[in-house]
Amino acid sequence: MTKQEQHTSTKRYGMVIDLDRCTGCGACMVACYAENNVPFSKDESDKMLTLNWIRVFKVDNGKPFPDTEICYIPKPCMQCDGEHMDGHSPCVSVCPAVATDYDHLTGIVSQIYTRCFGCRYCMAACPYHARKFNWWDPVWPAEMEKYLNPDVSVRMRGVVEKCSFCYHRYQKARNKAYLEGRDEVYEDEYQPACVEACPTKAITFGDLLNPEHQVYKLSKSRKAFRLLEKLNTNPKVYYMTSKKWVRRKTDNYIENESPGETRNSSKTQKASH
Amino acid sequence: MSTQSDNQTASAVNRSSGWVIFVFFLIGLIASMITGWTAFPKLLYSTKEQPIDFSHKVHIEQLGDCRACHFFRDDGSFSGAPSLDECKDCHMYPMTGNPNEQKFIEEYIEKDKEVPWLNYAEQPPCVFFSHAAHVKGSDMQCETCHGDMGHSDSLREYQENRITGYSRDIWGYSMLPIGEAEHGPRQKMNDCAACHLKKTGSKGDCFQCHK
Amino acid sequence: MKIDRRCFLSFVIGGALGTALTPVPWKLTDDIAIWTQNWPWTPVPEEGPSIYKKSVCTICSGGGCGINVRTIKGQAKKIEGQPDYPVNRGSICPLGISATQHLYGPSRIQSPLKRAGKRGEGRWEKISWDEAISTVSEKLSALRNQKKPHTVTCIAGSDRGTVAYLLERFLTAYGSPNFIRALSSFDAYELAFSLTQGQQGTLGYDLANSDFIVSFGAELMDGWGTAGQMFSLYPGNGKKSNLVQVEPRLSDTAAMANQWIAAKPGTESALALGIAHVIVRDNLYNKNFINNHCFGFEDWEDKNGKAHQGYRSLLRQYPPAKVAETTGIDKGTIESLARGFARAKRPVAIGGRGGHLASGGLDEALAVQALNALVGNINQPGGVVVVPEPDYLSWSEMKTDKTASEGLRQPRIDEAGTDKFPNTRFLLNRIPEAINRAKGESPIQALLVTGGNPLYTMPNTEAAKKAFDKIPFIASFSTYMDETAQHADILLPNHHFLERYEDVPTPAGTPTRVIGLTRPVVKPRFDTLHIGDVIIRIAGSLGGFIGQAFPWKNYQEFLKQTLSKQWETLEKQGYWVDSEFIPPRWARAFNTPSGKYEFYPQERNNPSGKDTDALPGFRPADLPGNPDKMPLTLLPYSSIRIAGGAVANPPFMTKTVDADVIRNNDIFVELNPGTAKKLGFSEGDAAILKTPAGEARVRIHLFEGLMPGLVAMPTGLGRNAFSSYIAGKGANVNALLADIAEPGSGLNKAWASRASLVKA
Repeated sequence: MTKQEQHTSTKRYGMVIDLDRCTGCGACMVACYAENNVPFSKDESDKMLTLNWIRVFKVDNGKPFPDTEICYIPKPCMQCDGEHMDGHSPCVSVCPAVATDYDHLTGIVSQIYTRCFGCRYCMAACPYHARKFNWWDPVWPAEMEKYLNPDVSVRMRGVVEKCSFCYHRYQKARNKAYLEGRDEVYEDEYQPACVEACPTKAITFGDLLNPEHQVYKLSKSRKAFRLLEKLNTNPKVYYMTSKKWVRRKTDNYIENESPGETRNSSKTQKASH
Repeated sequence: MSTQSDNQTASAVNRSSGWVIFVFFLIGLIASMITGWTAFPKLLYSTKEQPIDFSHKVHIEQLGDCRACHFFRDDGSFSGAPSLDECKDCHMYPMTGNPNEQKFIEEYIEKDKEVPWLNYAEQPPCVFFSHAAHVKGSDMQCETCHGDMGHSDSLREYQENRITGYSRDIWGYSMLPIGEAEHGPRQKMNDCAACHLKKTGSKGDCFQCHK
Repeated sequence: MKIDRRCFLSFVIGGALGTALTPVPWKLTDDIAIWTQNWPWTPVPEEGPSIYKKSVCTICSGGGCGINVRTIKGQAKKIEGQPDYPVNRGSICPLGISATQHLYGPSRIQSPLKRAGKRGEGRWEKISWDEAISTVSEKLSALRNQKKPHTVTCIAGSDRGTVAYLLERFLTAYGSPNFIRALSSFDAYELAFSLTQGQQGTLGYDLANSDFIVSFGAELMDGWGTAGQMFSLYPGNGKKSNLVQVEPRLSDTAAMANQWIAAKPGTESALALGIAHVIVRDNLYNKNFINNHCFGFEDWEDKNGKAHQGYRSLLRQYPPAKVAETTGIDKGTIESLARGFARAKRPVAIGGRGGHLASGGLDEALAVQALNALVGNINQPGGVVVVPEPDYLSWSEMKTDKTASEGLRQPRIDEAGTDKFPNTRFLLNRIPEAINRAKGESPIQALLVTGGNPLYTMPNTEAAKKAFDKIPFIASFSTYMDETAQHADILLPNHHFLERYEDVPTPAGTPTRVIGLTRPVVKPRFDTLHIGDVIIRIAGSLGGFIGQAFPWKNYQEFLKQTLSKQWETLEKQGYWVDSEFIPPRWARAFNTPSGKYEFYPQERNNPSGKDTDALPGFRPADLPGNPDKMPLTLLPYSSIRIAGGAVANPPFMTKTVDADVIRNNDIFVELNPGTAKKLGFSEGDAAILKTPAGEARVRIHLFEGLMPGLVAMPTGLGRNAFSSYIAGKGANVNALLADIAEPGSGLNKAWASRASLVKA
């Protein structure tokens, strides 16, 4: 294998989030803020305006006390592959500036802040609310600029940002692989900050195409599902839960339709394409 | 219409002749071209001196290899210009009578202050450039991008674009992005993409080089 | 030749064409485009080699998680868990991750300060360390000259480790018995362990090896104990264990539990006794342990021949049917829970409420601990252990002068260890009353606050603040401008934990004997000093025997010498584990008068003399307030996303809080939709929450997971110090709670408060 062929081995990085293990502590969110230089403001209560690359949502089963159950759903960018698995994801297909792009080597949807001019078309197109807009210039009070991570560019007012699966960590891992003359990055060498920070190890991350990676098996488990599966956006973020009501909450179902059926039917639909 | 042409004929007497107009055209053309080609670059770039002069040649002779100072760290990242600590390994005390070394020791080593080198090849903060991919992955030589730095006896002046704040090396010294560049190839995004296209068959996706 | 308008036009056209043939327009367009992408005010973080430094996080009161801090060019960038650290095994909580925001943030005190305006006004004058230290020394010296050394009180965040050791030593040399540990949810449980087992030390629950955990309100996933450790033990993290959560609110812990049992708040001890009833009735208890290593299980006679009731006959008062009525839990549930617990291989019962610091009282702790004894899991794998202090070099030899000896003979101001509360070690909650009770001048003439931020964390906070106002001299050693520092007279800021050395002995809840080493990750950013150095310098300037008791050059030298046995290991790997520590066997484990585990704790302070008052029991707290006017019960709850203790939320943490907990500056209280309907409230309504201690403006959030009749309010909000990123958000629930001293122990029994909600 010549060295240049490294560029062509295709991966599809994805994650599987086990909702049964998520306690809703928010360590993933905080680790993401710290890793990715996500700014903050004094009032963060308007969640439509605040910046989050991953947000943990709380849902409940709506039953009265004491039959109530709650579940937390961490939601990063879904890194959609698009309907035909060709990178035609909802946001990439609408960006007029090529500021967001599907990385064919990793399957990660990129966002280049210096290229973005802030039209927010991608935000409208994203069915998962994964994209956030910088309404203000970031402010780091006192000496807080000192903790900023040089591996991730700091965004300016007027651009859209979103989860990158900590792509910079992939770049760094590849650096190391090059140095050691390896063609591949090991599974544990490239893990996003949220995955690493999850104190209950609810998130598993790796190459969905690589049978040796944990996510390969997990994503194919019967418990695994994706958000709004019906839209055929083909997200690379999978969820697992043992609670049926949680599964139902993650998509819009017609009455008497079970989540399992939908997934299978959407697969059949795809096959008939 | 007829009245108009009448007027024109009438006023033709008082008008400047065609060659005068042409002369003015030429003056405008030539003056602006001279300004654009000679004064503009001087206006656009400010010239900065490096904090101290440095001879790559002398160091290469002593140490034998670029990698003695510009090395890969264990995590695969590239060290770039050496830090003061690395310089201290040899220069804790004067090794030669060179006035630049003396200045370096007095102003930086003794005060424990990093040297604010001006980096000719500094990329914008949104760029992730992997030395490992190029040097280790594709066996490229330092000179291919940085020019023949290793044999220079003195640091050339650093030119900074007044608008962007970046080094002139990125755009290249020639004002036109054509022909061979003076100090190694130009390093704008299109230049990277052109080389990638040639070598790998693809310009690459955004995230390959952006962060 | 005539020059006219046309010549000029021609010149311009020529110029334009010429310009177009130069790089000017093309290059300028490109450069301006680049300029617009790089606003000069957008910071560009400096690149450099990443160096990971190991340390131990002590940001929360349960602190003690191993961390790896990524630094670049001497600046801390990111805090990550340290995978091999024996306490937390790589897991850390969001507060720990955001500690860099506190390090570099606006809440730091940047130099010693002297109060310039009125107390609490926030006007300060910058002073030098020499002046700060001499001010404190002069004050302390004057009090000694007046023969009042015992009026000096120190409130510390912890009573373990070398800093606490230095403080206690200082007070002893100086002549004050008043070293007080800040409130902790472990207060009651530590006392229960010491009474039943005769052992003083840290409580350890071996949750990793337990297969059946019954938690009586301990919010294990919401910040109880050492959060990182609890997460690393999360049931299902590699092992299948069974967690049963007893709590009136569907907390995150309850949501993760295999079973959630919503007992009426405050009836936890009744439930524990009901479970015990079933275990004893069905003969499911550990016969070997009960028959050979326990005292007071059966009725007994003392040496005077007086008959006493034992635990077994006490349990007759707690049949499941009655307990079901008390707790509101189905009788069958109690029965099956008891059987499940007793039949499990390694069951453990655990208590102690989470982030809010009400301990729940000794009765509850004794009742819960008795369950562990019944199944014989004391000092067993998967059970409970008392972890003794690691063996530090002791510096006992110390001379005290006459003034000091006399001062030390004075009773403690908080009455802990006095005839009134002989068993209890620290009673910070009794301080306001002690000050108010005193006639004439305040019994505390100088207060040194080295941790715990009492003016935020104490119940009935406003009353505490009024009492503190009577103390003529308050010095705070806080790193941050917290509520207590804001109310002090002089500030002697300690280094941030990422800037200093400190030892971290076994955190509460951990079953292993371990010492962690907090190490400076960055250079001190401001003109701060290590608290240990300050104490040594104050002792030095007081001179005499006090100075002699502190022969060390500085704290670091003291630390190294004290930990000389472990120092090499600590320096090398950042922690030290006592691999030889094995919990003692039952025959040698108990240091009680009977030498056995005492179901009937003979040393328990029992003013009434009745047997039932010595045994654990269900004695509901008589909460102040008229139940007709205040029909609701205010229940504080802890959220792992809101730092509820001494340290306030950094901006990152507040960012994670949902908009139905804080919106703008409004705090939401949870209310069961049924209760809300009765009271006429709907989602988002503004209301005034009133309790006997005070009132607060709140908004209503409907939550089905809360028991009807309760109002749940998060801890950690309503700060008025730190920085403008947290101050002014919501209300402090501690300020709405009462303090009810449990007879005999003096611990605060008020886990909640009566409350009413009216429309605002």
